[in-house]
Amino acid sequence: MPSVKLSNGVVINFDGSAQTLLEALERKKLEVNFHCREGYCGACRCKLVSGEVNYINEPLAFVRKGEFLPCCSVPVTDIEIEIP
Amino acid sequence: MAYTTFNRQINDQMKEPMFFGNPVNVSRYDQQKYGIFEKLIEKQLSFFWRPEEVDVSKDRIDYQNLPDHEKHIFISNLKYQTLLDSVQGRSPNVAFLPIVSLPELETWIETWAFSETIHSRSYTHIVRNISAEPHKVFDDIMLNEKILERADDVTRYYDDLIDGINLYQRCGEGTHTINGETLSISLYELKRRLYLCVMSVNVLEAIRFYVSFACSFAFAERELMEGNAKIIRLIARDEALHLTGTQHMLNIMAAGEDDADMAKIAKECEEEAYAIFRKAAEQEKDWAQYLFKDGSMIGLNKDILCQYVEYITNSRMQAIGMKAIFSTTQNPIPWINTWLVSDNVQVAPQEAEISSYLVGQIDNEVDGGDFGDFDL
Repeated sequence: MPSVKLSNGVVINFDGSAQTLLEALERKKLEVNFHCREGYCGACRCKLVSGEVNYINEPLAFVRKGEFLPCCSVPVTDIEIEIP
Repeated sequence: MAYTTFNRQINDQMKEPMFFGNPVNVSRYDQQKYGIFEKLIEKQLSFFWRPEEVDVSKDRIDYQNLPDHEKHIFISNLKYQTLLDSVQGRSPNVAFLPIVSLPELETWIETWAFSETIHSRSYTHIVRNISAEPHKVFDDIMLNEKILERADDVTRYYDDLIDGINLYQRCGEGTHTINGETLSISLYELKRRLYLCVMSVNVLEAIRFYVSFACSFAFAERELMEGNAKIIRLIARDEALHLTGTQHMLNIMAAGEDDADMAKIAKECEEEAYAIFRKAAEQEKDWAQYLFKDGSMIGLNKDILCQYVEYITNSRMQAIGMKAIFSTTQNPIPWINTWLVSDNVQVAPQEAEISSYLVGQIDNEVDGGDFGDFDL
């Protein structure tokens, strides 16, 4: 079960009950910006400090190095992220 | 240099830059230099919708019952959006098609602009429904100072680029005397105008629509003007995709692998890019002030809307590698996001595909009584 570490020290276990990283963050009442939730708008862009994520749907939005879209991804390894 | 609709030069399209290479000859999509534009085309096509699919008949009653200051908010936003989509429905074609060099990008531009024409048509659908005199609404757009102020900044970069392309394609680089006027143009200058134009379009689609979107959804949160809100959701879904398109173009340009000049230009124009964002944000805040000049609406006022403008301006700037310019870090109207989720606008496939099925076939008037004889 990969863990998701936030810059404020909070750690969430991605236990598969949430479909995507965005859902997992929202269940912990963390505020992440979002619009489309499908990977084409890029509104939920977050920083991926370490670790690896897998995309359920390949995002259409531009994702630069060191960033990822939580709305359409799941963690593969333990990850450390930063919500803007 | 001169434009030709079917370039006879045999070229490897995979080696052309996005713009200012050879004009496109064969529209082929078996190979793509930038697969993203092909994917954007497919996505945009899957989004296809028609204004008539949305029943706006209840909006007429809602509109008549709105107090005057809310009527002003509603109708002013519609006018402003009409201006924006009038520009966006034609200008990408006029400005970018004569200089584009990749078939997938050319078709993306056409698909993008076409979807904007649907938006324009939807405004007529809405206005016809709420007003017995739709012509008065549209006639005022050309007379309304507040809208015309914005029109200038929205169109300036397009016009500069189009003007430069005309001169370049007719006369080539250099200084030319045309009708007694001395004009100069270089390819580098044209590329600079292109970069600034794409930047200004990005800002238009990233920020300028959203004040209006927020108002439409704020009405709908009160179960008012819901037909309008359904249409605005479809428009917002399209705009988010267009925004992704221009963000990709800007990022490809800035990376410099496509055209080394563009990376240099992106650096040189950095200050101007910041100025374009800043000015648009200030204009949208002024617009919020104009909207609420006679009174606010429930759930939204000038200050909240201005904070929202700052918030999305920051987020859009960061998307293309710029720094945030406002101190706002929180979305003051988080409820807007649920209106912008795309899966909530997805219609059943049979409703989206058969046009005869769409028009006036869906009865939106349902209440508890309709389930009176319903047993499980």
